[in-house]
Amino acid sequence: MSDLDDFKATYFDECSELLSELEEQFAAIEAGERDADRLNAVFRAIHSIKGGAGAFGFSGLVGFAHAYETLLDYVRDGRVELTDDVVTLCIKANDIVADHVSAAKNGEELPAEYGHEEKVRFDVIARGGSGAGSEDDDMNGEIIEEFDIEFTPVRVELKVDEAEESGEDDAFDAPPLEAAPGSWEVRFTPFRQLYARANDPLLLLRELGVLGEMSVRAVMHDVPALGDFEPFGVYCSWEITLSAPDLTDAAIREVFEFVEGDCEITIVPLGATLSRSVAPAGMPAAAAEPGVADLLALTEDEVADVAARPAAAAAPAVEEEPALSFADLADEIKASAPPRPVAPPPAPKPVAPPKPAPSGEGGEDGGNRSVGVQSIRVDLDKVDRVVNMVGELVITQSMLTQQMDETLRARYTELVRGLEVLAQTTRGLQDSVMAIRAQPVKSVFSRMPRLARELATKTGKRIKLETIGENTEIDKTVIEQLSDPLTHMIRNSADHGIETPEKRRAMGKSETGTIRLSAEQAGGNILIVVEDDGAGINRERVLQLARDKGIIAPDITPTDEQIDQLIFAPGFSTADAVSDISGRGVGMDVVLSNIKKIGGSVHVRSWTGKGSRVTLRLPLTLAVLDVMLVKVGDSPYVVPLSSIVETMQCSRANFERVPSGGQVLQVRGEYVQTIDVAQRFELPTQTDPDDRFVVLCETEGSQKVALVVDDIIGQQQVVIKSLEENFERVDGIAGGTILGDGNVALIVDVQGLRATQFHKNAA
Amino acid sequence: MTLRVLTVDDSRTILAMLHHTLSNAGFQVLQAEDGKQGLDVLQSQEVDVVITDINMPVMDGIEFIKNVRASGQYQSLPILILTTETSQDKRDQGKAAGGTGWIVKPFDPDKLISVIHRVVH
Amino acid sequence: MEALAIRDDMGDKTAVVGANTLQLIAFSIGEQTYGVEITTVREIRAWNGATPLPNTREFVRGVINLRGTIVPIFDLRARFGDGQTSPTKNHVVVVMSVGDKWVGILVDAVSDILTVSRDDIHNVPEGNAIDTELLNGIVTHDSRMVGLIDLHAVVSGAKMDG
Repeated sequence: MSDLDDFKATYFDECSELLSELEEQFAAIEAGERDADRLNAVFRAIHSIKGGAGAFGFSGLVGFAHAYETLLDYVRDGRVELTDDVVTLCIKANDIVADHVSAAKNGEELPAEYGHEEKVRFDVIARGGSGAGSEDDDMNGEIIEEFDIEFTPVRVELKVDEAEESGEDDAFDAPPLEAAPGSWEVRFTPFRQLYARANDPLLLLRELGVLGEMSVRAVMHDVPALGDFEPFGVYCSWEITLSAPDLTDAAIREVFEFVEGDCEITIVPLGATLSRSVAPAGMPAAAAEPGVADLLALTEDEVADVAARPAAAAAPAVEEEPALSFADLADEIKASAPPRPVAPPPAPKPVAPPKPAPSGEGGEDGGNRSVGVQSIRVDLDKVDRVVNMVGELVITQSMLTQQMDETLRARYTELVRGLEVLAQTTRGLQDSVMAIRAQPVKSVFSRMPRLARELATKTGKRIKLETIGENTEIDKTVIEQLSDPLTHMIRNSADHGIETPEKRRAMGKSETGTIRLSAEQAGGNILIVVEDDGAGINRERVLQLARDKGIIAPDITPTDEQIDQLIFAPGFSTADAVSDISGRGVGMDVVLSNIKKIGGSVHVRSWTGKGSRVTLRLPLTLAVLDVMLVKVGDSPYVVPLSSIVETMQCSRANFERVPSGGQVLQVRGEYVQTIDVAQRFELPTQTDPDDRFVVLCETEGSQKVALVVDDIIGQQQVVIKSLEENFERVDGIAGGTILGDGNVALIVDVQGLRATQFHKNAA
Repeated sequence: MTLRVLTVDDSRTILAMLHHTLSNAGFQVLQAEDGKQGLDVLQSQEVDVVITDINMPVMDGIEFIKNVRASGQYQSLPILILTTETSQDKRDQGKAAGGTGWIVKPFDPDKLISVIHRVVH
Repeated sequence: MEALAIRDDMGDKTAVVGANTLQLIAFSIGEQTYGVEITTVREIRAWNGATPLPNTREFVRGVINLRGTIVPIFDLRARFGDGQTSPTKNHVVVVMSVGDKWVGILVDAVSDILTVSRDDIHNVPEGNAIDTELLNGIVTHDSRMVGLIDLHAVVSGAKMDG
């Protein structure tokens, strides 16, 4: 990856954070919190997006962000009132910025007119905000101004200044660029504030020297006798001749770019009338003063000494100075210690300020510490490697603990204590590493308000989206998998849950429907809940559709709860007409499969006429799985602990034959489908049927299945490894893991086994 | 001697690009994400030149420069203002507060280095 | 589990390798000799068992742990339709990369490193369907016939239904 790609990746990361922040700020602004802090934050976000876009040449984004930023600037300083209309426009503008960002990210080009309408509205509002006034032209200019013409105004104003200050000098009336390039005379007279801003004549002269052959003469007729020498006075100016082929005055002026206004500068072609501007009488007068020559004869150290001695008494001396023409600076100069002492060049560099005692423990090392930064950016691969290794460590640790039988425990108490500490430390390490990967769900939640707005527009409904707990943190991989399910769930709520405003009014509800998106941590899980105050699931219709589509048999009468779960069945859709929103027949089943993929579960509840609630239960991390290790034939298999209800010996299980030839298990009055894993996987088994075990598992929708295995070895934690990495997906197997002895154990896909069993029975 | 540059910007993108350009040119780079953090860095580190953004949360660039200049010990510390402002407002405000010069974003790496050499020994 | 590193005494042979030559690792299944291009070979290790994979064809011997990743093992004898190998500690797994995946091939023994000219590679004679399916070509070396294994073909069709 090139550096530029790196920067771009950083930029797009930053953009997505800034866009999230914009969503958040505008949610508050919409709710009426329109304080300066929020407006400033919004301005800064757009400003930063624009800044980076400029660096990468995303011109469409720059153009739009610039116009938007201008409006925000006016809003911020009160020139434009933040009415509800403006807020609505801004929210629309945020979406357009987001579109520009994602287009840039994907290397796409948006049509040139994209967002044009909004841009025009920014302009109209900004003009209106400026009122009928003199500023109108100025502002208009700023809005249409090209982004990259930065330097032109500087040059123009410099010329104006000079013309005013040396208006009597004919030489300056001639356009500088028409003069023959090559040799120039420059006169440079710094003012006091040039030093106050840490500019240094020596550096400027040095930079001039780079341009061509240079000779410098210090003009010191203003330098007083030593007795009158005021260390912070400005006495010196310089006359410089510069020559180089093709040297233009513009190149010379650029050197003085930063000190414009802080000095007097004249540039004329060599041999022109510069000599007139140097007071000829001055030189003899200065030369007559004995102090000057003495001062010039001083060595650098002596100059520093001279300069330093009166420094303590400097403040009163400055106060006695006649008022400077730069009143704005006077206060600061007075209030603070004196600026760099002015002495003939080369000006001695003041001694570096004493380093304050390092705060805290940081000694010499403190120098390399970047104090301001509170975070570092790390390649996700590196984190994953650590996560994996910690996973292995957790497993090794639990293996060691399991090795300790009662005899060992009694004999080696120190070892036992050590293992306990190891277990604790390992847990702590695991938690810390997981915390590195954890991210607030905000990053996906913040995409949802826009979705809700679009859905409201499309459906003609009034929808308010509330988000709660967006700072709840989950593993980054889980978060990445959350976006699609959340989108589908919110679409479903907007499309099928929330009623039209008329209907809601008729039912005595508020016209605006609410969808609440929340996240919270509950034990080792994260619960994500999408609920709405809409009509609830129409069970009659769901059941009818499910029967029509053959999803459930006509003779079965499911409970309400079972009917609700039917909305997750593949291919199920309750949309009366296929809308372009959620009635595409893919939707809630996608939610289920995505959530299953990351080891989570989905549950729905509904209250007729009052609303519905879908709960996603997600694991905090994907890296480590609690499992039960079992034996099938001679091979080790693991079953995720989360799906196991109970285990029992076959001799004590109550099997019954069914007419199809299979077996069912009767547990507390319930008949449960039974799968002999050895038979299913075609693995030879010599175990006596009575010595085998039943592992009773629960799959989605509270469906139970009984797995018959040869032996139960114990519980442990494992790190999930992919089979697909080097092979392909295998039916009935969810992946693999590596046991303490280095052998591979396969993870049983309980849900998948159940499904393929159906298949087999049907065939 | 390695020159130490303090870069102050709330944009990670800009900080990263500055870091890249400056460290390639042999500077040692310190970073801060707002003016307040910038002042903290100056409290504990010796710095030869500062490059600061204007629009930042917590403490903006103008306040930051004023604070640096008011602190007494950093009278002669060159401070370059990093700006995308097309109007000259911010630049002028920055200068009035004590800014030494400015760099216009998006910056050209060579130009950035030459500007730094214009203000620091 | 010990891994037999690829011998480094092949330096003298690489010296003569030109643009038109090919270096092969040759291995045997019974009387037959097969070869794969040396650049695809990652590691050679002694057989130490594998965890069987259900719902796969008989030539998939299972999976092993190769430094933390799970790698499938293909029984080359079974793949050529001659029944499963009854492996002992003396049997060898040649780990190779096929595309972006790593796979192990169970063979009887690794015999040699051969340098052959590309010009000497002949098409597989028509007749034996399995040979034409699984071989890229045939080359004669020291009067031995060496079948060049098409790894992509060997690892395909591993699942029961595929």
